[in-house]
Amino acid sequence: MPKLTINGREIDFKQGQTVIEAAKDNGIEIPHYCWHPSLSVSGNCRVCLVELEKMPKLVIACSTLAAEGMVVHTQSEKTLQARNAVMEFLLINHPLDCPICDEAGECKLQEYAFDHGYGESRFDEMKNRKEKRVALGPRIMFDGDRCISCSRCIRFSDEIAKATQLTFVQRGDRVTIKTFPGEEFDNPYTLNTVDICPVGALTSRDFRFKARVWDMSETKTICPGCSRGCNIEMWVRNNEILRLTPRENLEVNEYWMCDWGRLNTFKFVNARNRIDGALIRENEVITKVSVEEGISKTAQAIQKYKASQIAFLGSAFATCEDNFSLAKFAKESFSANNIDFIRYVDETNQDDILIKPDKTPNTLGAKSTGIKPGNSGLNIHEIFSEIKKGNIKALFVMEDNPAAISDDYKNALKKLELLIVLSVNENETTELADIVLPAAAYAEKNGTFINFEGRLQRIRPAVVTQNMERSLDGMSMSRLDKFGTKYDSWASGHRVDAQPSWKLISMLSQKLGGKINYQTAEDVFDDLVKSNKEFSGLDYDIIGEKGTQLDSFIKVKETV
Amino acid sequence: MENIRIVLPEIENIHEIETYISNGGFKAAKKAFSQTPGEIIDQVKKSGLRGRGGAAFSAGLKWSFMPKSTDKPKYLCVNGDESEPGSFKDREVFEKNPHQLIEGTLITCYAIGAKTAYIYIRGEYHKWIKLMQKALDDAYAKGFVGEKMKETFGTDFYCDIYIHKGAGAYICGEESSLMNSIEGKRGYPRVKPPFPAQNGLWGNPTTINNVETIANVPKIIENGWEWYANIGVQKHPGTILYGISGHVNKPGVYELPTGILLTELIFDVAGGVPGNKKIKMVIPGGSSMPPLRGDQLEGVRMDAESLKEAGSAIGTAGVMVMDEDTDILKVLARITKFYYHESCGQCTPCREGTGWMLKTLNRMIEGNATSRDLDLLIEVANNIEGNTICALGDAAAWPVKFTIQRFRDELEQYVKPEVELPIYNKVHSMRETTVPLGVNKR
Ligand SMILES: Cc1cc2nc3c(=O)[nH]c(=O)nc-3n(C[C@H](O)[C@H](O)[C@H](O)COP(=O)(O)O)c2cc1C
Ligand code: SF4
Ligand code: SF4
Ligand code: SF4
Repeated sequence: MPKLTINGREIDFKQGQTVIEAAKDNGIEIPHYCWHPSLSVSGNCRVCLVELEKMPKLVIACSTLAAEGMVVHTQSEKTLQARNAVMEFLLINHPLDCPICDEAGECKLQEYAFDHGYGESRFDEMKNRKEKRVALGPRIMFDGDRCISCSRCIRFSDEIAKATQLTFVQRGDRVTIKTFPGEEFDNPYTLNTVDICPVGALTSRDFRFKARVWDMSETKTICPGCSRGCNIEMWVRNNEILRLTPRENLEVNEYWMCDWGRLNTFKFVNARNRIDGALIRENEVITKVSVEEGISKTAQAIQKYKASQIAFLGSAFATCEDNFSLAKFAKESFSANNIDFIRYVDETNQDDILIKPDKTPNTLGAKSTGIKPGNSGLNIHEIFSEIKKGNIKALFVMEDNPAAISDDYKNALKKLELLIVLSVNENETTELADIVLPAAAYAEKNGTFINFEGRLQRIRPAVVTQNMERSLDGMSMSRLDKFGTKYDSWASGHRVDAQPSWKLISMLSQKLGGKINYQTAEDVFDDLVKSNKEFSGLDYDIIGEKGTQLDSFIKVKETV
Repeated sequence: MENIRIVLPEIENIHEIETYISNGGFKAAKKAFSQTPGEIIDQVKKSGLRGRGGAAFSAGLKWSFMPKSTDKPKYLCVNGDESEPGSFKDREVFEKNPHQLIEGTLITCYAIGAKTAYIYIRGEYHKWIKLMQKALDDAYAKGFVGEKMKETFGTDFYCDIYIHKGAGAYICGEESSLMNSIEGKRGYPRVKPPFPAQNGLWGNPTTINNVETIANVPKIIENGWEWYANIGVQKHPGTILYGISGHVNKPGVYELPTGILLTELIFDVAGGVPGNKKIKMVIPGGSSMPPLRGDQLEGVRMDAESLKEAGSAIGTAGVMVMDEDTDILKVLARITKFYYHESCGQCTPCREGTGWMLKTLNRMIEGNATSRDLDLLIEVANNIEGNTICALGDAAAWPVKFTIQRFRDELEQYVKPEVELPIYNKVHSMRETTVPLGVNKR
């Protein structure tokens, strides 16, 4: 491998790499604003100017190809002088309204000013003013004063979102961002520009002014919005999810996520219509009871049904652990064969970027953990037609809402003798249920999903429920979690009385004298590994933060 | 003084195609097409022809950077954006000798293997765009351009020429910005490398030359490189279209050999300064070049090497003369305003620095500056220079830096010991400013 020297350290590089890329691969950060690993090089911010030995002028590390024997200095006096000069230029007209800026705390201008700035202003003139609060589109607000004209947002839209909607207008220090005439900035990926904007010039209309960045905890998890399974960070304050941001995973979503996933996969967790404690319907009166009591009632009601009379619905919204537990429970306690789950595929809603037609995060997970009809068992359509015929009398639904699928399904559900539903929110199906058990949402539990190409990825709890402790499961903490006392109102958001589905099932199994007795999601996973060779050799640590490709699905990956 | 005319011959109506042809027009092209492209490049190299667009780079050498074997189409751009204050010589070519420019374009296309050339003319040159278009239409009609060339010249080679109108941006004269402009994009200079010969118009090999540069080419081919190399000074041979403006009795464009004394140019050619006033300042190469003080002119010759030695540069040879009554501060502020206005805004130092310098100079005009502001201006200029994507940054920095350095005494008269500043609540951190840069680590 060819080598170059940065600050006296010899490093390897790959032919064709730029200096900034070679440095990054070797853990050396060269400051930059406009450069982004997956966007074209624009070379406009000039923060990455570095000194090359034998070159009279400084060069920008983002566009200079690494060469054998090159000697680079990123901390020489000349380099520091130039970097500081660029920082000064960027700051002279910047409004410095950090106290009310959403970006504060994760702002590259703040960070580099801290690292590379003099801390003193030599600018004795009035600052330029530009347009503020410009709605570029339905989800994005622009602040011209804060923009440092790095063009990342424009390049992202052109190159990644493939939607030419943004442009610079004007010249010199009058330059600002606009949408093209008649265009709105409304492509399905606009919110990624908020993430890659180095400053607070682009803000999310959903999130702006909601929280200081450092008051939220961030948790590495997975978007459940479709079978892509974009890697994300979930941001929580006062036990309330405030935003989702994409997390780098070059195998899955690079640095991006879609706007739909970002905005629509967390609000139901915060929603008021959560199932909070168990609900029992007796003589058309619904009573709220403890989870324990709900489990007892369920055990009493369900135990009389024979395998031919009962059906179980797993769910592609639930984790592998939940589905595995359900399948195991159904077989162990009922010898049941009528097991399946509902598919949510919308061929009209997909693209070549991220969005997949399968609108669930775990179809392959449900399938490979045993959610499929057993020997001469009924599939999903047959289950509903047998319900209508009166042959299936009891239905156990985990984390799904069949009543919303069609009137046909809904009417079928009304014919049941017993409908048990494990649900996160109130919905059309819980309305018809005899017993509703409160399922923890994906944001409140550990578990795994398998994405459309067979990648096994972990979700982690970011929100606490009543029976959970933050320290358990190593949940990440925010400043408020760490320093808030019980006398502060800070960290006292509502806690739902809910349990992960696998846990509810485990409790139920115990009540029915079964053998399933899991304490943690990891227990379930370890059991899954033992009983299913597709998962063999894996554990939560191996899956890690970026997931792991399951060998058994390599073919799936190749065909997609 | 030799009376050699290469680009602007003293022949009446030479701008008309019939006159041009009857004076031997397009014979150089025919001669060129009978040789190999390599031979043409070689002759132009040996002639010593250097670009007239500002940087005085060897034309033949530039052409030789074009890849010889490539499947990609190649292009020639003829740069007639001419927007540098003090520069107004290319329009003389459009007006007075357009067919020689067209012939030069044909020969250059042949030499570099281009089948398409764009003549880019600044948008404000309405009149000259029309004149040039008329000349091109005539040349097409007579079969000197386009596919009919094959018959006319009896060769396999032909090329097309298009006139592209600018839209009023100085920055589109910068070669990579010019290409973006032709492509229909914003006039943003590109990061180099890659250079145009590898990655130019639409990603294809491209050569960009100034109008005057190209207009020299037919005569080099016609009369031979030795003839050309012996005109003017050896290292920068030929003639130059000197554009003289400002406080002179006879401003205008004069074609004269390179290396003429600057004083000769001002006093003999341009008739001296009105009222015989003293000269305070001369900018020898267009407004971006370092200005010379009146007492620095003696013995300075107008060619790239001599001017470099004198502390300036030939640029576009737009000589601006300013007499003793000139307000240097206002001149500097006006020049700075130009570059501020024309900065494309793409890269940080130029976008922010040009505005900063202008604001400070304006404050100085208002009488609200201290001596420290003069030092600060030089530092800001130094922080722009060399740190930008294109040379507009340098073009903005040099006048400020060199004017202050060379006219400091005069400028000191505008400053006060104490002033009222527009900003009084500046942000200062508690950080010790004596800490060396870059050591504050999170
Ligand atoms: C800001 C800027 C403006 C320029 N404007 C012009 C111009 O109007 N005409 C021109 O020929 N060259 C101009 N140039 C120089 C061109 O980039 C390029 O060097 C030149 O056209 C090459 O031609 P030459 O080698 O024949 O001189 C400009 C350069 C800069 C940086
Ligand atoms: S809005 Fe943000 S991303 Fe876009 S150019 Fe400005 S600073 Fe860069
Ligand atoms: S593409 Fe799918 S997984 Fe990714 S953010 Fe959108 S909905 Fe979520
Ligand atoms: S130096 Fe000025 S004109 Fe040139 S690219 Fe940078 S901002 Fe634009």
